Amino acid sequence: MAEGVTTIRAEIGAAVWKITAPAGTEVAEEEPVLILESMKMEIPVLAPHAGRVLELLVEEGQQVEEGQPLATLRR
Amino acid sequence: MNWQPELDELRLREAHAHEMGGPDKVARQHAGGRLTVRERIEKLADPSSFHETGAIAGRAEYDEAGDLKRLTPSNCVMGRARVDGRPVVIVGDDFTVRGGSADATIREKPVMAERLAQEFRLPILRVIEGSGGGGSVKTIETTGRANLPGGVGMSQLFHLTTENLSHVPVVGLGLGSVAGLGAARLAAAHFSVMTKESAMFVAGPPVVARLGQDLSKKELGGWEIQTKSGAVDNAVDTEEEAFAAARRFLSYLPSSVHALPPVTPSEDDPARRDEKLFSAIPRDRRRVYQMRPIVESVVDRGSFFEMGRMFGRPIITGLARLKGVPVALMASDPFFYGGSWTADACAKIIRFLDLAETFHLPVVYLCDCPGFMVGLEAEKAATIRLGVRAMAAMGQTTVPWCTIIIRNAFGVAGAAHAPAGRLSLRYAWLSARWGSLPLEGGIEAAYAADIAAAEDKEAKLAEIEDRLNRLRSPFRTAETFWVEEIIDPRDTRRLLCEFADLALPLLSPTPSRLRMRP
Repeated sequence: MAEGVTTIRAEIGAAVWKITAPAGTEVAEEEPVLILESMKMEIPVLAPHAGRVLELLVEEGQQVEEGQPLATLRR
Repeated sequence: MNWQPELDELRLREAHAHEMGGPDKVARQHAGGRLTVRERIEKLADPSSFHETGAIAGRAEYDEAGDLKRLTPSNCVMGRARVDGRPVVIVGDDFTVRGGSADATIREKPVMAERLAQEFRLPILRVIEGSGGGGSVKTIETTGRANLPGGVGMSQLFHLTTENLSHVPVVGLGLGSVAGLGAARLAAAHFSVMTKESAMFVAGPPVVARLGQDLSKKELGGWEIQTKSGAVDNAVDTEEEAFAAARRFLSYLPSSVHALPPVTPSEDDPARRDEKLFSAIPRDRRRVYQMRPIVESVVDRGSFFEMGRMFGRPIITGLARLKGVPVALMASDPFFYGGSWTADACAKIIRFLDLAETFHLPVVYLCDCPGFMVGLEAEKAATIRLGVRAMAAMGQTTVPWCTIIIRNAFGVAGAAHAPAGRLSLRYAWLSARWGSLPLEGGIEAAYAADIAAAEDKEAKLAEIEDRLNRLRSPFRTAETFWVEEIIDPRDTRRLLCEFADLALPLLSPTPSRLRMRP
């Protein structure tokens, strides 16, 4: 992994509900990058630090497993 | 006439013991970024409070005249010390002597440390590195025979490793590589902490390589593995932070099950109202919120100490104070499966409630539980088995209990928001909703015939959902006294502090009938 690049992983098994910060978007720390759906709840995946979203590794509607990489973020 | 020669010899032997495994081994320990066992004890305990027992036990070499050449100490350093002024037992592995393994252990030393803790009713801190006095394969050669684990004369340490959980607070610190019996002694603690540079495993990389798994120590048993698995509670960056965590954990607990948790003065206003609580819960029921700021807001400022954050994450567990009274606090975290009780969350609840019951800690539960986790994976994980065990653990507590229903309380796991067989205090926030089953999915099951008969099935479903939603207001439940009180969330701290006042005189320093398992 290149320096200053963080992989954001799913902390739960869930469906990808909505991508809120497509590749190229600048996000602040704790700003949602995408929203998962689990147990009928919308669960935002928050940026661990401020940065630019490099790549989304999943699509809306896709089922993801716990630990699966969702996006990469450059500091 | 005096005994100067003997005193000199005693001091000489002690000096040898203080050299531990020798300067090169000590240098190697430091080069690895780790403190020696003696430095650890010095930093873990109150300054200069350590009184060692059995320092000069070890292996001595003598010259031809029978004079001492060198004493290599046993790799177990133990004794009494103080933590925040309170007496404790500390037992530590000296990794500079034969890597902490059994070859250099005098078995009776760690056994005496554990017995000292139990019989003098003192918390025990296990500073663990290496195999924790467990064996290595080499032991076969050094002793000329294979050791039956737990064989004749060898079962006491195994017994006390878990037995002490029912007597005194047990804290495990994993500092370095921890394996075998060391891993067992770390996991068999009320609270365990490791540094992020450490690793803990049943057996290390060379052994698992024989299974075809090519893993580094950290890949096999680093903090990310072990805190997620729940085998270790907390991970910290430095050894100093591990000592601070151990000391902080003990600050909430009595010295043994024969005493009550220490009440400390609190400067935080018990009637403090936090305006943010009024808007903390989104009106949109699909949206989640952060539970930890709510916890921080209702307990004494800065008093929340979380344990096991990375494991069983739909439930947050930790110790806190209300008007200075230590309490065991658990709260749902909707960011993880909406706060559903997964099998892991249930396992976490069982151990946490056993801790509360063992040490006479009143329980506070901030509940937002949409039920047990559902789905194939959840069934395979035996969620319901762990779930009923968690319910039983709750039912077996005898300590005072207070529940705040923050939002959801659905199904059997929702029912498990307070001990079912006795009275506890319960309040529901304005945002509370409950039911046997969430409407979503529940409607399809209960109104299957109506929906099947309808021309526009989706419209029918929406119509039923709307109808039921209007009946679901908590006020309708309160009309019939099915819930006793609905509160303004801003009053939560005041009510919890009142609960602490009510709970305190009910606590009894009598050992619980529960026998805690790790």
